[in-house]
Amino acid sequence: MTGERPIELVLLEMALLVLLGPLVTGFIQKLKARLQCRQGAAIVQPYRDLAKLFRKGTVQAVTASGFFRSIPVLVLAATVAAGALVPVLRAGPPAFPLGDALMLLGLLALARFLTAIGAFDAGGAFGGMGASREMTIAPLVEPVLMMVVFSTAVAAGTTELGALSAHRGTSWILDWHAADFLGFAAMLVLLPAETGRIPVDNPDTHLELTMLHEGMLLEHSGPGLGCMVLASHTRQIVTLGLVAALFFPIVSYGAGAADLLVGAGAFAAKILVLAVFLALVESSYAKLRLFRVPQYLGIGFVCALTALALRIL
Amino acid sequence: MSAETVQAIIDDLGALLLFTMILIVAASQISRAIYAVAAQSFLIAIAGAVLATATGNVDLWVIAGVTLVVKATLLPWVLHWVVRRMNVRREVEPVIPVAATLALAVAVVVMSFHLSASLGTVRQAITGNALPVGIALTLSGVLVMATRKTALTQMVGLFASENGIFFTAMAVTQGMPLIIEIGVILDVILAALVMTIMVLRVRSTVDADIADLDRLKG
Amino acid sequence: MAETLLWVLPLVPSVTALAMLTTRKRRILSGLDVGGSAVLFALTLVLAREVAAGGPRSIGVFRIDDLGLVFLLLLVVLTLTVSIYTVGWLRQAVAVGNMKAESLRSYFALVHAFVATMVVTVLADNLGVLWIAMEGTTITSAVLIGYHGHRHGLEAAWKYIIVTTIGISFGLFGTVLVYAAAADVMGSAGTMSWSAIMQVAPTLDPGIVRIGFIFVMIGYGTKAGLAPMHLWLPDAHSQAPTPVSALLSGVLIKCALLAIIRFQTIAAAACGPAFAEEVLLVFGLISVVVATPFILVQRDLKRLLGYHSVEHVGIVALGLGFGGAVGTYGALLHVVNHGITKALAFFAAGTAIARYGSRDMRAIRGLAAVAPIGATLLMLAALSLAGTPPFSIFVSELMVLRAGIGHGHWVAIAIFLVMVVVIFAGLLHHAGAMVFGEPRGAGRRTEAWSPLLAMLLLAAIMVLMGLTIPASFDGILRRATEVVVG
Repeated sequence: MTGERPIELVLLEMALLVLLGPLVTGFIQKLKARLQCRQGAAIVQPYRDLAKLFRKGTVQAVTASGFFRSIPVLVLAATVAAGALVPVLRAGPPAFPLGDALMLLGLLALARFLTAIGAFDAGGAFGGMGASREMTIAPLVEPVLMMVVFSTAVAAGTTELGALSAHRGTSWILDWHAADFLGFAAMLVLLPAETGRIPVDNPDTHLELTMLHEGMLLEHSGPGLGCMVLASHTRQIVTLGLVAALFFPIVSYGAGAADLLVGAGAFAAKILVLAVFLALVESSYAKLRLFRVPQYLGIGFVCALTALALRIL
Repeated sequence: MSAETVQAIIDDLGALLLFTMILIVAASQISRAIYAVAAQSFLIAIAGAVLATATGNVDLWVIAGVTLVVKATLLPWVLHWVVRRMNVRREVEPVIPVAATLALAVAVVVMSFHLSASLGTVRQAITGNALPVGIALTLSGVLVMATRKTALTQMVGLFASENGIFFTAMAVTQGMPLIIEIGVILDVILAALVMTIMVLRVRSTVDADIADLDRLKG
Repeated sequence: MAETLLWVLPLVPSVTALAMLTTRKRRILSGLDVGGSAVLFALTLVLAREVAAGGPRSIGVFRIDDLGLVFLLLLVVLTLTVSIYTVGWLRQAVAVGNMKAESLRSYFALVHAFVATMVVTVLADNLGVLWIAMEGTTITSAVLIGYHGHRHGLEAAWKYIIVTTIGISFGLFGTVLVYAAAADVMGSAGTMSWSAIMQVAPTLDPGIVRIGFIFVMIGYGTKAGLAPMHLWLPDAHSQAPTPVSALLSGVLIKCALLAIIRFQTIAAAACGPAFAEEVLLVFGLISVVVATPFILVQRDLKRLLGYHSVEHVGIVALGLGFGGAVGTYGALLHVVNHGITKALAFFAAGTAIARYGSRDMRAIRGLAAVAPIGATLLMLAALSLAGTPPFSIFVSELMVLRAGIGHGHWVAIAIFLVMVVVIFAGLLHHAGAMVFGEPRGAGRRTEAWSPLLAMLLLAAIMVLMGLTIPASFDGILRRATEVVVG
């Protein structure tokens, strides 16, 4: 069995996630562009965007309260804190009390909630619309994520992600229980919803009819917007990391520097696979009408429930 | 292969079968449902091949092959042909909302597992979870047939239902006698053909979809 | 000899069906039709003698015992009378354009294919073959129901094929479950043969057989027209060509009942008779109760008869559900009586409908004045269906009642009696209005001989069975009862 993860490692992993988040977005955008026979922006474009945003000044709506200004920081903080819970370089529980997968989901939900509050606070029409849509979808997504986590947690006897990941072991599909297939299927269905992508949301547009997440960011500007964008990059990689921890095998158990490097490579590979999946889905499907979204998420719900039923019955 | 490996593989395939079934229930377009049922039949064929390797029963190879050719390739192709060539509507037109059907499907799945968990020793005669998965597939297929108005979706439901039965039948020790399975497949093909002809006939003689026929009551 | 007959029997209608495809002339087709049915009838009588003398016979997947013989006799009698009836019916139908003269051969071929599949269901020993043949009946008869090709016919045919196919998949699942139970006991020698399963039936796992029986009950119950799975039945019976309606109502739903009885015997041996009887009782009661209001308010003559079939299938299920020798004997007798009477009723109704050009009972008035013989036969059929003595159905209903009283099912008896009385009144009201009164909308024409001959044959059997059951047939019924009750 693997050892525990010391605090330095956890902090390092957290920093890695925040730093690599924009890269994943850039990669997906690039792959999408290539799939659509476009050249596309460079992979590092999200970094440039962020750098630009952080250099700019801030403009704020007159209707917004003082709380509005602190929203981006709080959102980013909650998301980054969630990042601390994802095992990156190695599996295994942290050496100190940290939190588990439910905590992670809770932090992501908190970030989502704060974003929506901020959008309402600014008083813009689009912000309110985006927020209300986001809040329509969130209650459909979060319980299902919870159920998927439970369906794997029942087998492992813990909800701590590092330990869950360690329990998954090194062999992949060969070791999967029937419930894992359904849980994974549910996760794949939910992934676009949680990362704000087609067919649930469209990250590339600011067309009022289609946007969910982007609508809520409209009133932010400058460094505040930078924080929000960075938070959504981080949220994406954290979600992917959650999937990887729940379902993908671990490569190395060891604690040496070489093992950590191998672990980093493996993590990159896992994220890459999921990112390719997201890009493929985005390129091959159209965005669903908002009223169709519950039906789409229903698939995930049924899969997750069935997975749970398989585990328990 | 050891018995445990076979059981694990059958269980995994069962989970994938359930997933395809959920896709069929949730599909809002006929062509998606057809792809899903083709995938399902393909999984059934794999299950047949696995069980054939494990038990050394040559009949199962034949059944797996026939399933692959007929149910995973031929019948979906015919359905696609009808969708493309004939002017039939492409939406599934549920009688009750799809979300409600999904909820019912969940109830069906849970009930099936509960039911088969209540069974005694006879579960050993059927590999792994094939019995509850089979019951769930059959009942959800019937659910699809009962809650959709369009002819092609009803046919998809029929195939899914038949798949569930086949899955269970394969997983029974030794499988059903070959001649019976072949006969059943033949019947399914014939039924599909007759249904297809009816769809075309309704289109050509009264210029309507099956879903529009609702005059007989009382 | 008997073994040879077993596989020759399904071949006769199959060969007839193929022979039909070689010609287009109506007279030759009708001749082949009657001829093929007559050969089938004659061979069955020979087989019946052999079985009476030497007990059950089997060859391969086929097997004949007295239980199967009851249904086989009903099948061939009705097939023969349907063929005779078709001669005159067809002439009229072609004349008014209901049937196209150029496509007659496919009609005849399908009818005989339909008969062939039904013969196989009756003779099947292998439960898988039973299912395959049962699905075969669905496919062939679905085409026949939609044969007229108009909107309603196609709708009825589609509803029929979908509902019965749903049902029949349940039947297959039930079959698989029972087979799994048998394979569990027999090990590698697992078989789907009914007679082999019956030998080990007491050792089967009761849990799985119970689930299997419920699946089978829903599955073949759909095909038998038991409520609440009867939805297809009134549509199909009303839209099909009249000879096909007679076959559907007279034989097909009885074949499904035979399948249920086969599984009932297995279930009774595996988990005790009480369970299977309870299930049958519930379905029987539901059928009788559900059919009643529809019979009362019905305006379409053939739909009326269709709902009537639901009621009578319910009575058969009740007889089986009350159980015991009396109940089972009554149920089997009722199968035969209802088959004969219902075919007669459909023939008479079909003739009346052709005369008035409408299935609406309000349009059919004063039949007695324009077609005295047909009207008398229709009235006789209605009286018998309603359960009046001295006709045959009265006898079998009485036996079912006696079985119920004998086993103390008072609530079921009470419901059953109330429904039968209500239906009696409703049916006689409908029939009286059609037969008597001022004729409207139809002139007095001579009645065609062949439908009359077919109807007179059936009426003769009906009255005979009401007055006395022939000793040889009584013997068959008794031995069939023993097969079921053990």
